[in-house]
Order: sequence, then structure tokens, then C-alpha cells
Amino acid sequence: MIADKEFNAMDREHAAVRVERIHKAYHNGTTSTPVLTGVDLAVRQGECVFLAGPSGSGKTTLLSILGCILSADQGEVRILDQDVITLNERRRAALRRNRIGFVFQRFHLIRGLTAAENICVPLTLRKVSPRTARQRAEVLLEAVGLADKANSHPGNLSAGQCQRVALARALAGDPDLILADEPTASLDGTNGQEVMTLLRQLTTEQGKAAIVVTHDHRIFSFADRILHLENGRIVRTTKPDPQAPPSESATGSKG
Amino acid sequence: MWSLALKTLIADRGKLLTALVGVVFSIVLVNIQGGLFLGLIGKAGLLVDHGQADIWVGHRKMHNIDFPRDIPRRWVYRVREVPGVRRAESYMIGFADMTLPSGGFENVAVIGVDRSSLLGNAWNLTKGSPSSILQNDGIIVDECEGEKLEYLEMGELREIGNRRARVVGMSHGIMGFLVTPYIFTTYERAALYLRKSPSLCSYFLVQLQPGADAERVCAAIRQRVPELDAYPRDQYSWISVSFWMTRTGLGISFGAATLLGLLVGMVMVAETLYAMVLDRLGEFGTLKAIGATETQVYSILLVQALIMATVGSIIGLMTVAGIQHFFSTPRAPIMVPWWLSLSSCVLVLVICLIAALLPYLRIRKLDPMMVLQS
Repeated sequence: MIADKEFNAMDREHAAVRVERIHKAYHNGTTSTPVLTGVDLAVRQGECVFLAGPSGSGKTTLLSILGCILSADQGEVRILDQDVITLNERRRAALRRNRIGFVFQRFHLIRGLTAAENICVPLTLRKVSPRTARQRAEVLLEAVGLADKANSHPGNLSAGQCQRVALARALAGDPDLILADEPTASLDGTNGQEVMTLLRQLTTEQGKAAIVVTHDHRIFSFADRILHLENGRIVRTTKPDPQAPPSESATGSKG
Repeated sequence: MWSLALKTLIADRGKLLTALVGVVFSIVLVNIQGGLFLGLIGKAGLLVDHGQADIWVGHRKMHNIDFPRDIPRRWVYRVREVPGVRRAESYMIGFADMTLPSGGFENVAVIGVDRSSLLGNAWNLTKGSPSSILQNDGIIVDECEGEKLEYLEMGELREIGNRRARVVGMSHGIMGFLVTPYIFTTYERAALYLRKSPSLCSYFLVQLQPGADAERVCAAIRQRVPELDAYPRDQYSWISVSFWMTRTGLGISFGAATLLGLLVGMVMVAETLYAMVLDRLGEFGTLKAIGATETQVYSILLVQALIMATVGSIIGLMTVAGIQHFFSTPRAPIMVPWWLSLSSCVLVLVICLIAALLPYLRIRKLDPMMVLQS
């Protein structure tokens, strides 16, 4: 098995995310389709790791397990010092709510709410007062360059602006871990670059761990490490070429 | 959570409107159907309710104000002797034909009241006075019965039971459950119109002495005159109402129609809530993915159901008030007591909360991973 070998033993002890020998299969009647077959992975605080690979390689399944949305069939999963395998659904939801921020490919903003109100949602779920939540949303909107769009509804925002709002929503609860699923896939090249610049900048500034699932080679330069998945395994780990400038014409794609 | 629920609800105005129509429909239907029923059935006890008597005494097993059996008038003296009775007077009800200017006849219910006390006389007079019936051939008719009686005027002469009758007073809204118009006159004249012996009457109307207990006095009357039955006013009114409800199946038919309306309203609300949730599965999936608990998700649905029930009830009750104001007539009164409005609102609220369960069951099965797979 080729595992994520970048970590030494001490790093693994203090990792934000530590996954060892996890297996996952989907069952359909009597048919069982293995999706992850012994994945090892560790991500430290402040690090931005990309998961890359072809469709069906298990990237989204792995991200779902890291986000406590899905359970692994076997193996050890420790997210932010919590053994996720032993947590019940209620505690998993609490972990997602309190310590993990999600950025989705299709933004998944709530259309009845304004940009600011969408950013407030994770805080509302944490029972933060509306006033405090609103102040936090305004700070984040400023950070993602949308201070003037606080009262705009998603229908009146461009795709790039929506993804920036989604990024602000992911950061609203000050999470320790950001999970992004194809964050640039629905964006054009320029917007993709801008969103990744923001994601990287905000996670680095605040020392958060980030795991990004992507097909998009043109944003690889934003990663600290790129883990390549194939057939449910990490087949190699690479580092982006520091000489390679971010692509000017990066396009979203999903295979 | 209130704000989140409200804003997502308002975002889909079309569906919100459909759900509100369902709630308003249920509220209006329950109140108008119920109001019409209460108005109609309440007419069965109209004479009892307005008769100014505390106790109604009639033949044993009396069951309806409009269909009495004759009792000897002289028994009134035995009733007057019962402790607690301040006054007891004879009262006569019967049916006779009134001549019409067109040459036809109309069956009328003739009511004869004691000429000294006028107990049980017409009320709500628009023309003349209660004592007008003391005039020669004097009768009081209701102006709302104009169509049936071919528009009687004050002073106009007619014949009832081949005897002359002259209109000396007009009331407004004294319309009974039966189709026959009520005609008020003196006891003696009523006996002539009805061709009955004045020694037989229909009821004794009893007024109590201050502080007397109606139930006890009724029991004492039954004991004193075993051939008679005696009931306090409200009880006899209810007996008269029950007569029509149970013997005609009116209650069941109105109740079934109301229930059907409620059911349609509930289906509309449940279907709309469900459709709204289906449209927004992605949003609920997102909420679950970012850590919303089952309780939080259900509370959003509950709050939305509560908002729909409250807003729908307010609009519904306003509509009911409008319909009542413009369409309630003495012929078809719409009586909407506060308890009917309140219970319809509570019922609709319960229906909305139950209706919220259906989409909840769908959301409960929702895998938050869907937001990562889109």
C-alpha cells in the first residue's frame, strides 16, 4: 500500500486529521463495490492538502468520511482529536457544526436568505445571538470582498460571488478544518483563482487545516501537498511546482 | 431558527400562497359550515330562548317547542302553587291558514300569549309595540316573512282560520326552524284562529322568584303535576334543537361536510409543505451536512407550519367575519360563537403540525452526502 508518507510519527500524533487503513464499500443488494481500500492520511493544522484523482477514485467518499457525513467500514479516523468511529450521529453533527467548515461545488446557499444571512446559518445552528452572527458575517463579507453584497440574495450574485459567500459561510463558525469539494468546478478561470486565493489566504492566516477535492490541475499551485487517489487508494503524493504560476485560464471541470 | 424558517418560507411565495389557501379554506369552511348549522339549528329553540320564561312546562315527554300536546289550562293554578314560582301563564301554539291577497293560503304558526303579562310575546319590534296585540284582531308578524305572506303592511287585514286578523306590529328576525311564519296574538284570539278550546293550552311559561333554583322548581312541578314535564329554558331549548339534529340527521350531514372540508384543507397543507420540502431538499441536505440536528431541522418545519396556521387562521377568520357581515340573514343566520372560531384555529394548527410530519419523514431519510454528490 502506498500511503501518505509525508508525516513522521510525531506529526501524526498532533495531526488535525488522521486516517489509518480505512476501507469503505457501497452495497447494492448482494453486490458490494469497494470505494476506499486502505487509505492512510494525515493533515496538520495550517496545512492545505488537495485530493486529486479520476472520477470514481474515492475522493468524495474520503471527503465525506473526513467530514463525519459518512462512516468508514474499517480503520481509524481521528478528526480534531476525536475518534469519529465511536461517535454517534448526534455527536458527529455537533463536530461538523462546531469544528468543520464545508465548501461545496454547487455552493448550496439557501436561496431565501441574503448573503449575510447565509453566512449566519452555521452560527444560528450554534445558537449564537443574531446580532453577533450578523457582525461576524459582515467581517467575513469584507474579507471575501463582498461587503456591498450583504443584502443580496444568491439569485442576484454571480457564481464566483456565490462561492465566496459559501467560503465565508464555511469560515463563519471559526472551524479548525475546512473541507472543500471541487470548489472551482462551477466557476470560470478567473473566479476559480480568486476563490482559491481567498481560501488559501484565509486558512493560512488563521492556521486552519484544509482539504480540497479537485480535478482542476490549474489550482494545484495552492496546495501544500497533493494526494493522488486511484481505485480507492492514495497512489502518490506530490508537491506543486513552486516555479509554476497559477494558471490564468483555469477552468472548472468535473469528470 | 424562527428567522431561518420564516425567510425560507417566504422565499417560495407561490407554494406559500397555495398552503395558505388550504388553511384559509379549512378555517372558512369550518366556521361558515358550523355557523350556518348553529344558526339554522338555533332557530329550533328561538321561541324558548326569547320567551322570557325561566321554566317551560308542557305535556309529559315534550320534545319540541313547535309540536306541543294540549294540556288543561286549569293546571296552571297547581303550577303557581309550587314554591319558587313567581308567575305562571298559559301559552298556546298551533297551526292555521292565513289568506293571501292572491287568493291562496299560507300555513302559519299562531302563538297565543297571556294578555296581562304578555309573557312569550314577540320581540325585536320594528313597528308597533308588544301591547299592540291587545287591539281588536291585532297580530304581530315578522317583516322577513314578507315573501311568504305577500308583503303584509301595518294595518292590513287578513283572515286566519276564517277569523279577521289585523297587522298591528312588525318584528325583525323571528324566523323559526319550520317554514311556517310565526304570528303572535293574544291567547284567546289564538284559540279562535286555531279553533281550539281556550281551556286547553300548549305550555305554561314560568318565571321564578329571585334566588329560586330552576332545577328544584322543575322537580317540584313534576311531582305536583305528574302529567307534566318541566325544563329550565336552556335545557328545553337544547331539547328542541336535539329533536331536529337527531331525527333529521342534520348534525351528521353538516358534520360530514365540515370534516370533508377539513380533510381537503389538511391534504392541501400537507401536500404543499411536502412539495416545498422536495423543492428544497438540497437546502435541508446542506443544513444537515453543516451540522443541523434532527431537532433543528424539524423545528424549521414546525415553525413554518405554525406560521402558516397562524397567518392562515387570521386571514380565514377575517374572511369569515366578512362573509358573516354581508351574508348572514334571519332566514339563513350564520352564528359563529368564539368557541367555534377558537376550536377551528386549534384544529387547523394541529393539522398543520401533523402535516409537517410528512416532509420531516422525507428529510429524516435524507443523506447529507447528497450535497457532496451534486
